[in-house]
Amino acid sequence: MSDYVIDTDGLCLRYKGKLALDRLSLRLPRGGIHAFVGANGAGKSSLFRVLLGFEPPSAGSARVLGHDCRRLTPALRGRIGFVNEEHTLPGWMRVRELMRMQQRHYTQAGGGLWNDARYEEVLSHFNVLPDQRVVQLSRGERAGLNLALALAQGPELLILDEPTLGLDVVAKRAFLEAMLQASIDDGSTIVYCSHQMDEIERVADNLVILERGQLRYMSGPDDFCGRVQLWVVEFPFKAPELRDLPGVLQVQQLDGLTHVVTFDQQDGAGFEARLKLLGARRVQSMPLGLDRAVNAFLSHGHAGARRAA
Amino acid sequence: MHRCAPLMLQIVTGDPRPIIRQIGDGIKRLVAGGELQPGDALPSVRGLAQQLSVNPNTVAKAYAELTAEGWLLSRAGLGLFVAEQRQRLSDAERERRLTDAVDRFVGDVIGLDYPSDTVLDRVAGELSHYSSKKTA
Repeated sequence: MSDYVIDTDGLCLRYKGKLALDRLSLRLPRGGIHAFVGANGAGKSSLFRVLLGFEPPSAGSARVLGHDCRRLTPALRGRIGFVNEEHTLPGWMRVRELMRMQQRHYTQAGGGLWNDARYEEVLSHFNVLPDQRVVQLSRGERAGLNLALALAQGPELLILDEPTLGLDVVAKRAFLEAMLQASIDDGSTIVYCSHQMDEIERVADNLVILERGQLRYMSGPDDFCGRVQLWVVEFPFKAPELRDLPGVLQVQQLDGLTHVVTFDQQDGAGFEARLKLLGARRVQSMPLGLDRAVNAFLSHGHAGARRAA
Repeated sequence: MHRCAPLMLQIVTGDPRPIIRQIGDGIKRLVAGGELQPGDALPSVRGLAQQLSVNPNTVAKAYAELTAEGWLLSRAGLGLFVAEQRQRLSDAERERRLTDAVDRFVGDVIGLDYPSDTVLDRVAGELSHYSSKKTA
């Protein structure tokens, strides 16, 4: 058995004339919850398409659960769960029929992992009746149904593309709990992509930052926060250009003070000395929460920020 | 089976303190404040994770750190318990913290224009609530 649930090497995907994945090399160890973040268009959905075999790589290789993504067998697909962000489900089917169908598929393919209790538990937070047709459900209800189906399937690898988008607070919490349970009880490896930093902070074991089709960063969320630091600096005269200093992610002028976010400069003394050399009168620093830290990290390479710079 | 003590903890996301630290600090405060007594059983890793809506691995790590630092005690097969608290700070550190706290306190009350005796009596009264706790 491969130690990596996902293993890509130099993976490229050209999609609609753009390089959606650009020599992406990513190795995701088995187990735990891996949160993927990245600006829109960073390549998250493209990566999932390749991993699930919907799209052959333009170059490089991609392996999922140790197998080449271009040749996935039905049995292997049975071990992978996927929830797409639109929650596309057959509208004409009744909820009960859809559930029975999934149950049949995944009992045969995965060796009887289907977990009825989990299906009921997740779905109980949504007002969904077995006789309703999928097309009659609201977006949130459809999301609940889709997630209940995926979690009940007890897959070895579960890929969720923005699963909590559009869920109310109760449904969201129920879903996160079910996801944690699947991770701990079944040993599912969960790949979860989201823009909700508060969720990621609560549930993720590993943080993966993608940018323009490349892997920018990977570690636990706490370790990541520990490497990002905010400096508030007072320059008595005009503030010098700081963007090109090593490790600088973001520079903002607020009420005559310069706010600088840095990466891997928290040993302090070195960066502070540099600012003082540039004429800083006062320098203060503090750590940042995950939301601000990721924001600064991404805005560094963000299309809008580059143009403004 | 011991019934576990309720853990009145709250964590916030978006805080510069990681969740693991928030859990650790929260439990230390409950122990120091006497809300958790030596011998009290702590919630299971899973129970606390569910209570706080966080990853059980985070709770497990926080518990492990508290155990290593001597705040908690693990009894095989029974779970985790609040350990007997001993003084774990060096004399120099205690002295430094006391100086800090006194400075802050004096800064706060100096502008209130109470006679010193009134202030001292109030502090003594407040401290007497804790005098029943061990002084070792």
